[in-house]
Amino acid sequence: MAREPDPRLQASSAADSRFDVADEVDEAALAAVMRYVPLGAGVLAGTAVALLVLGYLLIYALVFIPRGTVG
Amino acid sequence: MSERQPDMQERRILGTELLWSFGVGVLIAATLSIIVLTALTMGINPPSNVERADPKTLHLSGEFAEHNLGTSVAADGSVTARIIATQFMFVPHCIAVPEGRPVTLRLAAPDVIHGILITGTNVNTMVVPGFVAQVHTQFTRSGDLLMPCHEYCGLGHSEMWATVQVLPEGDFRPDGNGRVSCAQR
Repeated sequence: MAREPDPRLQASSAADSRFDVADEVDEAALAAVMRYVPLGAGVLAGTAVALLVLGYLLIYALVFIPRGTVG
Repeated sequence: MSERQPDMQERRILGTELLWSFGVGVLIAATLSIIVLTALTMGINPPSNVERADPKTLHLSGEFAEHNLGTSVAADGSVTARIIATQFMFVPHCIAVPEGRPVTLRLAAPDVIHGILITGTNVNTMVVPGFVAQVHTQFTRSGDLLMPCHEYCGLGHSEMWATVQVLPEGDFRPDGNGRVSCAQR
């Protein structure tokens, strides 16, 4: 019994292969996602930077300043 | 319709990026303002002093000759501690300073690069041969503080440390020559 040939080997270019071509993009779904992506990125980055700045201010006020003058 | 939507998305992303840039700019300005305000109102700056001292003749004469090392109180009441940092010791090994009064630390090295910090304070400087390292500070608590060398200076580096003895004002008593030594305990 002859084996089914691999369809990838039959394709003359990657664009002809159904394995290598990207899924079709649903424009409406993409637009819906993109409405929230900048907000999500802002919240994530804002939270990370806020924690960093809070740590800096706490160490500055509670450790660095009480250690006294220097110059 | 499908061509206009990507435009709107790109505008929204651009707006978010501009807002973020503005926020980061505000943060940087606030951080720099805190540093400048602290420097102006509380006198907290990185120590900076460019003053030369010949390392070959350091111990022979002048400010860092042996008899001049340690803490001295000038006629105007100003307190200065002169210290030599050398492989692998500080001379003197114990420095007496008063609590709550301005103190000037002056250090010099005859051999290689050393560095000091005083634990629990903001005092931290390099001691480079050929230059006098100078730090102005004020100690807020009495007690013994450790002053290690914090710049690797050779095999005995880890043994190189001194004690800064911060004395309450009543216990800080200069002798007839204005010299103050560590209290024996």
